[in-house]
Amino acid sequence: MRSPFHSEPEAFRFLLVLILALVPIVLAAALGPTWLALVVLAVVLGGVAARAAQLRMRKLRSPDLPVKMAPPHLGSAAERRVLVVANDTLSEEALLCEVERLGLAPRMHVLLLVPAVITPAARLTGAIDSLLDQARARMQAALDRVGHDNVAGKVTGEDPLEAIEDTFATFVPDEVIVATRWEQTAGGLEPRLAGLVRERFAVPVRHLVFEPGSAAHEPDEATEARYQREFGAAAARKFGLRALAGAGILAALVMSLVALARTTPTTLAAANQAAAALPTGAPSALTKVIELKVIASGKKGPDGKLHDDFTVTDFHVTVGQPLTLRIDNTDTVSHSITSPEAGVSIIVLPGTRDYTLLVKQAGKFEWRCAFPCDPWSMAHVGYMRGFITATAA
Amino acid sequence: MSSGRSTTARDVSINPQTWRWSHPRVLVEDPDGEAGLAIASGLRFAGYAVAVCPGPRGHGQCPLTGPAGCAPAHDADLVVCNLGYEREVAREVLRELRTRYPSTPLLVVVPPEIDADLREVLDSCHQLPAGATPEQVVAAVQGISEHAAEGGAASA
Repeated sequence: MRSPFHSEPEAFRFLLVLILALVPIVLAAALGPTWLALVVLAVVLGGVAARAAQLRMRKLRSPDLPVKMAPPHLGSAAERRVLVVANDTLSEEALLCEVERLGLAPRMHVLLLVPAVITPAARLTGAIDSLLDQARARMQAALDRVGHDNVAGKVTGEDPLEAIEDTFATFVPDEVIVATRWEQTAGGLEPRLAGLVRERFAVPVRHLVFEPGSAAHEPDEATEARYQREFGAAAARKFGLRALAGAGILAALVMSLVALARTTPTTLAAANQAAAALPTGAPSALTKVIELKVIASGKKGPDGKLHDDFTVTDFHVTVGQPLTLRIDNTDTVSHSITSPEAGVSIIVLPGTRDYTLLVKQAGKFEWRCAFPCDPWSMAHVGYMRGFITATAA
Repeated sequence: MSSGRSTTARDVSINPQTWRWSHPRVLVEDPDGEAGLAIASGLRFAGYAVAVCPGPRGHGQCPLTGPAGCAPAHDADLVVCNLGYEREVAREVLRELRTRYPSTPLLVVVPPEIDADLREVLDSCHQLPAGATPEQVVAAVQGISEHAAEGGAASA
């Protein structure tokens, strides 16, 4: 895939598209709920995927008209510049002899371009530096072997075709030699590369094939045509797999959004219904904290006098599930919620604190304050005495 | 330009699509790859950036006849045409070049016998006889460029 930063106009266009795509997503995220941002993201991704597929299909369907281009010759008319593109074949003596022969010619400039073929797997595993080092070592060995000042070398981690394109802007070759094997090897150049260079650049392109220990061969037209066919089939396969993967990701995203949209309102509605179904005054199953107070002489009794009290004396719990009691004991002494039958003994200190009420068996249990305080209150439910109702989960 | 042709023409993929080098630029239209390269080589050594196009194989296969147009032709300073004008599609290219870029010099390699229709198309084109060598084509391009430069300087 061509880098979107390959040229200034391409980089500008890419950034513009990126900004235009991000603006609605950011606005949706900032101004709306999360699901809206996800929907906008899905729509933007879908739009980008559809446009990419449309452009790709147009490219595949449209007749190809290869227009070759080349910059003006650089230097005096007597000078010649030859670009040699090679990688693993640099170890072949036949290729080095060819480069040496070129270097002997007067007013000849030779550039050895060594693309370190970096696979997606190498990018993922961080093996890029290692591949670049191998390419540098090959190039240096070749330069040492050839030993001419007019033969230079350059290692690149770019796509080979793009690296050649860049070299046309700097070195400006009058001829290109692409050295490959008969079939692509791991880390080697594609044999199809020569055909691609021929299609793009209006300079003579020689494709030389080297196998270990053999002389250089030039593939015939039928072989070059086979390389093109195989490359086309491989490219179509790769595009198909990528399109499939993209469609899968998009489908997963859409399904997640649908699931999110369907479950969120249902869950909230169910929760609201559950809360509404509970009896008034009873602690809700959804309520995490029960707040109450202990007040000395806070509640008038039937005797007309004020007595100590807990503002809530009936507690409803689920067996095995803790209930938090936030008790503000406004009295100066401690009180308690004590029920030996329920296994509960909570000492309520002066001040506001959280206490946990946990009952391990079902039933209705009476509790009372075990600390000596108002005797009347200690004897009456609703004051310093009450009930804990525990229901099975 | 005929609007009928424009609407029926298919999109054509040109690779590469745009010039990446500065002026002067010459577009060479030649279906013979070797001949096109030979002319391009001569032009490069004469200081021109070049684009070599094999021309359309059939109707609707030239972007010049489509709505998108042809970027290499659009930005060229001079066009060399050697498409073999016995084919109507080649004449179509010439007509489109004349219609769309009337101020761009057009050097046409013409066959020995020119019919009336072709004569009309060739009006205001620079002509070279068929069989001209690459060196002669390059010399003609240089002559046309110098003449155009002198004309530009005189008018300025």
